Amino acid sequence: MEIKGDGKESSLVLLKQGAEARVFESTFVGRRSIVKERFSKKYRHPSLDSKLTVKRLNAEARCLTKARRLGVCTPVLYAVDPFLHTLTFEYVEGPSVKDVFLDFGSNGVVEERMDDIAVQIGDAIGKLHDGGLIHGDLTTSNMLIRINTNQLVLIDFGLSFTSTLPEDKAVDLYVLERALLSMHSSCGNVMDRILAAYRKSSKQWSSTLNKLAEVRQRGRKRTMVG
Amino acid sequence: MKVFEIDGTTLTLALFTDVTNSNELLGLMQAGTLEPEVAFLNASLIPDIFPVLAAAHKTLLAKSRESLTTRTLHSELVYNYSGSKHITESFKRCGISENSTYVLVARFGSYVDEMKAIEMLVKGKEIDLEELIGRANQAQIQKHYKIPGPELGISSLADAITCRIASRDAL
Repeated sequence: MEIKGDGKESSLVLLKQGAEARVFESTFVGRRSIVKERFSKKYRHPSLDSKLTVKRLNAEARCLTKARRLGVCTPVLYAVDPFLHTLTFEYVEGPSVKDVFLDFGSNGVVEERMDDIAVQIGDAIGKLHDGGLIHGDLTTSNMLIRINTNQLVLIDFGLSFTSTLPEDKAVDLYVLERALLSMHSSCGNVMDRILAAYRKSSKQWSSTLNKLAEVRQRGRKRTMVG
Repeated sequence: MKVFEIDGTTLTLALFTDVTNSNELLGLMQAGTLEPEVAFLNASLIPDIFPVLAAAHKTLLAKSRESLTTRTLHSELVYNYSGSKHITESFKRCGISENSTYVLVARFGSYVDEMKAIEMLVKGKEIDLEELIGRANQAQIQKHYKIPGPELGISSLADAITCRIASRDAL
């Protein structure tokens, strides 16, 4: 008999801290993992705080697994802990699309790779939207490219929700468009390539893209006049 | 037989095929007289040990918080592996039944001589854990865990099962 495992389960290394959560690197039963902890907000009443946190934790787990059922690659969910308010995921090895595009910006665009990534992004969003899932925070830092296979992996479903409204889908795309414009304008028009792939992937592309034109006119928030 | 370490506890796994006395094992387990206490899992639903370890992790966490849903630590492992909230159905599908011949035996915190007792208990041929992937019943797994075609395009069976084990209580 041999003993497997390294007993380092509890060692946590802080990678990032945001407004809603802290992200650690750790080990889960022998595999490298990511732990996302939603911390408590001291300005909220404790019972309300815990309720909200657990609700959002569960919503994120639900949306992430729903995306996988729709055929969109996300990290494997290893564990959900409603007491510590943590989610444990697979550690995805590879750069973010943001890093790749920034590199294109400074060292010149590799057209072939750019095309491959744009097609994968459009295809993935099309699948999500047709399945009635809105990512809610489509930015290039929430997309990873798996090393070796170059597969796109979507992360951070913390703002995701289910909806079939063209409005919500259009806003989802609009957020991505703005993010690309502000971060990666030196990469050329990536959004057009993404939308071309989206059109192929989503059956309901026409109503969404019509809505997108409308959203572009007025911005993300609906104007409440009259 | 292999021993895995999970959160400072050990989990010992042994895989048996051509088991002839599952009826007897089922009887012992249901009477609570199984010595030592172990978990019997329907191995055709197990393509890899990783989801079993994830279920074991979840089980140990529930134990440490005194929040087991089922009666014993080992029954909880079967229940957790099922990824479902229906306890009876979980045992039927992921546990041992009267005519099971292919079984994974699991025990927490086990010592060598205890596992020897288990090997005596189960009348069957012990095989290597590496054989799980080749012997898994994909159609049965997809049906039980409701894994649609598109998901298998981006995920292995084992990863799909792990996600369901992890997210069960969030649904």
